[in-house]
Amino acid sequence: MDAWLELARGPLFAATFLVMVLGLVRQLGMQAVQLVRRRHLLRRARWRVILGDAFSWSLPLGHLVRGTVVLTVVSILFHLGVVLVPLLLADHIAMWERLLGVTLPKLSVGVADLLTIVAIACALLLLAYRTLVPRARALSRPRDYLALVLVVMPMVSGYLAAHPAWNPLPWQMMMLVHLLSAELLFVVIPFSKLSHMVLFPLERLSQTYWQVQPGAGERVAQALLGEEARV
Amino acid sequence: MAIPESALSQGSPKVKPESWYSFHVDEAPAGDRVERFLAAFAAILHYGGYRGLLDTYVAALGRCSRCTVSCPIYQVTGDPRDIPCYRTHLLLDVYKRHFSLSGWVRSRFGHGRELTEELVDELAETVWRCNACRRCSLECPLGIDHALLVHLGRYILSMARIAPKALQVSVREQLEGKTRNTSKLPRAALISNLEFLEEELEELLGLPVRFPVDQPGRDMVFFCAVSDYLMEADTLMGNAAVLFAAGDAERWTIGSGNFDAINYGLFYNDWHLERIIGRLMEEVLRLDGRSILIGECGHASRSAKEYVPVFGGDGAYPVQSITEYTYRCLQAGRITLDGRVITERVTYHDPCNMARSGWIVDQPRAVLKSFVKNFVEMEPHGRANYCCGGGGGLVSLDETHEYRMEVAGRLKAEQLRQTRANICVAPCANCKKQLKELVEHYQIPCRVVGLHDLILQALVIPGATDPRQRREYMATQLE
Repeated sequence: MDAWLELARGPLFAATFLVMVLGLVRQLGMQAVQLVRRRHLLRRARWRVILGDAFSWSLPLGHLVRGTVVLTVVSILFHLGVVLVPLLLADHIAMWERLLGVTLPKLSVGVADLLTIVAIACALLLLAYRTLVPRARALSRPRDYLALVLVVMPMVSGYLAAHPAWNPLPWQMMMLVHLLSAELLFVVIPFSKLSHMVLFPLERLSQTYWQVQPGAGERVAQALLGEEARV
Repeated sequence: MAIPESALSQGSPKVKPESWYSFHVDEAPAGDRVERFLAAFAAILHYGGYRGLLDTYVAALGRCSRCTVSCPIYQVTGDPRDIPCYRTHLLLDVYKRHFSLSGWVRSRFGHGRELTEELVDELAETVWRCNACRRCSLECPLGIDHALLVHLGRYILSMARIAPKALQVSVREQLEGKTRNTSKLPRAALISNLEFLEEELEELLGLPVRFPVDQPGRDMVFFCAVSDYLMEADTLMGNAAVLFAAGDAERWTIGSGNFDAINYGLFYNDWHLERIIGRLMEEVLRLDGRSILIGECGHASRSAKEYVPVFGGDGAYPVQSITEYTYRCLQAGRITLDGRVITERVTYHDPCNMARSGWIVDQPRAVLKSFVKNFVEMEPHGRANYCCGGGGGLVSLDETHEYRMEVAGRLKAEQLRQTRANICVAPCANCKKQLKELVEHYQIPCRVVGLHDLILQALVIPGATDPRQRREYMATQLE
């Protein structure tokens, strides 16, 4: 068991973390290529609107539109836990120091516990929302349910590992589940919608695609309808 | 809040669409529509530069369902196929399956959604019944612009010859026909029409206000939706009166070579969009004009404002909407409006193409509030307004009338009724047509007019008739 734990802590963690980083860098790189290709059209983009929207949606308290209030609040609370706990929990900080050599400010144990419990509860609510509300169910695909489960697993196992009184398994076993589920998540992130963790501010740049490439329409028409293309 | 409770409650839609509306489209020969669609998609991906957009969206789409609250059509039908994100998915599925490596790999294992005749039908139905009002783009946490994918979907379909006949016929006349405009209005008819309007104006104002035609070297070349020349006399007279009152009577002209600002390309085809913008610029060049002035029309204003710089390059002609122009004149004290004339309760409808981006929201309100005492807002309004229900070219398709009344325009009608306004101002030819049909259909006691229709009544011009007399005269004319 200790050997497994060492493997999950050491080489496996480093490898999967690298996959995530490289995968996300690839996503960002693809965005950069698109931006460079379209640079001549970017000058006229409504930068103020694009940046303003990206900012206001980062903490969408200004977007509590009727009919979305519960969903929005639940989503915000969920994201708070999902973002803060992996980064700032005391045990994780030690890990980041060991792995990356950076020291992050520490979250107190009580706050971290609260955030985790709230995030798990919110994830269950989101799962229920997807399953029970017709409009959400109509849009949901297997990978949407799966993504939620993948995100929740490390949170649940981590919480149980940190609270022996609740933990039905030996500590080491639970820790292994925690590590492996987190590592599975690392691998999935760059290849799924979870990549919005880095793409989020960039997706708004899609507004610039309203700027059509001059001459493109003519070339499309000629390719499809011939030189003398008519409406 | 103006949304009817029953329409909002999920699962019990107010209007249960028994069958989907079927748009009258140019039928491609049966059997090869899938191939045509894929060929058009491939060409557009190759030349059109949409690949980066689709890759981003494929990676990002969250399927959170937030857009359901923003779509006025979904709120009425409750049909999942009307959810903006659902519609976006149809197109992205085709893209992934047929144009991405992972889709190809997955297809080897029997995954992925292959394009079929049925899927082409569903795609056509979903993109053509959308109003392209872009309201959903305000509500997507990830910033997905579903309306952009509607535009792309329509572009692909129309290049595959699956597009509503009426739109195709209009654009064909505009780009390749003799009259060069969507209403088939010959030049001679335009001239006689303008002469008639000049006589009317003289009678109304007691002053010779002219509609200059083909005057070279003018600052502003005026284009409006050509239907205005046939249906919106008061709007046009209001436009000319403001230009006259502001002292710009000698600074503008209408070009008889091309006087139609309608650009359906904005709704469904980049190729048409660019050619129609090219036509505008050609006419300004022919007349040696210096800038473009667009009449009261939402999509024409937006297409010119956004695409003249795109296609015209750095030296492109500046574009302004007549609403902006009038606002600037008022700000500069070049025109005066009489606050005693309009006593009715007035509301303002934001045309989506002007308001959604926040471009023209405050200007018309400032103008209206300067002379209308009893002004009331619809809720929601401004950037978050509801579409009239005729957006995206639907208002030009007569066969969609029932759909526009019962589904697309339903929330708008409710909103309008709740304002208890006697007059609804909408500075857009498309909105006006749809709203007039709506107030008739729902029997709402409200008159739909253009912004300059009201201004024509209240405009103070030295030496002209008193606005109060003018109003009486117009009232008798109306009867």
